[in-house]
Amino acid sequence: MAFWNKEDKDGPVNEEQVLGVLKKVQDPDLRKDIVSLGFIRNLKIDKGLVAFDLNLTTPACPVKDQMRDEAVSLVKALPGVHNVEIKMTSEVRQTPQLDKGALKGVRNIVAVGSGKGGVGKSTIAVNIAAALAAAGARVGLLDGDIYGPTTPIMLGLDLPPKSVGNRMIPQESAGLKFMSMGLLVKSEQPLIWRGPMAHKALQQCLFDVDWGELDYLMVDLPPGTGDVHLTLAQAVPLTGAVIVSTPQDVGLRISMKTLRMFQQTRVPILGIVENMSYYICPHCNARDHIFGQGGGSRAAEQLGIPFLGEVPLDLAIRTQSDIGVPIVVAQPDAPSARTLRQIAEKVAAQVSIRTYEAPVLEVE
Amino acid sequence: MSSSANVQATTPTKIKKVNPGELMIQWADGHETHHLAPVLRGMCPCASCKDEMTGIRIVLPIHIPDDLGFRKIELVGQYALQFEWSDGHRTGIYSFEYLRELCPCAECKRKTNAG
Repeated sequence: MAFWNKEDKDGPVNEEQVLGVLKKVQDPDLRKDIVSLGFIRNLKIDKGLVAFDLNLTTPACPVKDQMRDEAVSLVKALPGVHNVEIKMTSEVRQTPQLDKGALKGVRNIVAVGSGKGGVGKSTIAVNIAAALAAAGARVGLLDGDIYGPTTPIMLGLDLPPKSVGNRMIPQESAGLKFMSMGLLVKSEQPLIWRGPMAHKALQQCLFDVDWGELDYLMVDLPPGTGDVHLTLAQAVPLTGAVIVSTPQDVGLRISMKTLRMFQQTRVPILGIVENMSYYICPHCNARDHIFGQGGGSRAAEQLGIPFLGEVPLDLAIRTQSDIGVPIVVAQPDAPSARTLRQIAEKVAAQVSIRTYEAPVLEVE
Repeated sequence: MSSSANVQATTPTKIKKVNPGELMIQWADGHETHHLAPVLRGMCPCASCKDEMTGIRIVLPIHIPDDLGFRKIELVGQYALQFEWSDGHRTGIYSFEYLRELCPCAECKRKTNAG
């Protein structure tokens, strides 16, 4: 391009040209360009200055910076453009049918499940939820593990929730709205309930709690496949489920049952998180794959579902859980916190894909 | 039938009560099903209409009035419908697969008989 063209301040760029080059920027998850997706808002052109909002489907978008940088460089390369200002915004879409029921302020409900207990499902759920909140999303966490609730400890909460009238007010910690059956019973008391009671309790925690406006409501399920799972799959249209497993075959094989149950009730599987993937020696920093290697990613590949990441056995994750501040909040720059944040971003991306692709069902 | 074709065939895109006794379902594969309330009520899969162990029907067509209608139609999660009938019964959960399987049109019946 000739030097004098660039200097020509009155050779103005127009909207059409700007949108034309922005059409080259693809959202890699939704596989469409950002103009067709309606992401460009408030486009303003003032001589050499081009300003617009880039409105994504989640504040926790894993490719946010990549898309912004691409957009900036493409628009800047247009003749007559001297400066580009992009404001990053987001608007999380709602799962179809969720707008009709009692939870109409909630955009998406995501279940976190596992085949067996002790795989660190609650740790993963708490950290995903806290990471999404830290990214700027409005997040709720419901501890549905009525038989052995651990999330109140991980969030440093041990008081029962307040209620106004017959509605319960969720507690807040780590930027989350939080509700647990663990807060309704005294902590040393074991809970021995029959199925119908579990069913009722979960319904209360969903519908009798003032969740308000939420982008994501994460539900931490009890291990296995039982009353709580079925109640949840029947009571609300879930956006999807995240399966947590250890690398061991046994763990994975049992998770398979959980997976099949979600498939039978048509709950989309957002992906598998492999926990306790390896152990980092605190003395020499060596990695040890004590439960074997690659089990989670192999299973995900075989089943054609996304693999969301590997979380190490890390002392820091455990200590942060014990003192009630999740690692993604307390030590956001720690390697394990980064890993967990990337997993949370992948979950958010999968939610965006699901809400974008979900078939619309009309009921008259 | 490939699994993705199967999913299309059992994913509803529109559910409509066309009159008190008739339900229309449009499926993602383009097919349209019309269910009549008394017939569908007779196929209720719940444990009080069909013996859980033997599979033998407890509620028979003779027990169902011809003018039975749908009082309420509700989605169950995203995999089934639950009906409240005009006789007050409401415990049956009809999965989308089951509702497609029961499609009474000639084309579907032929397929079921052939299969």
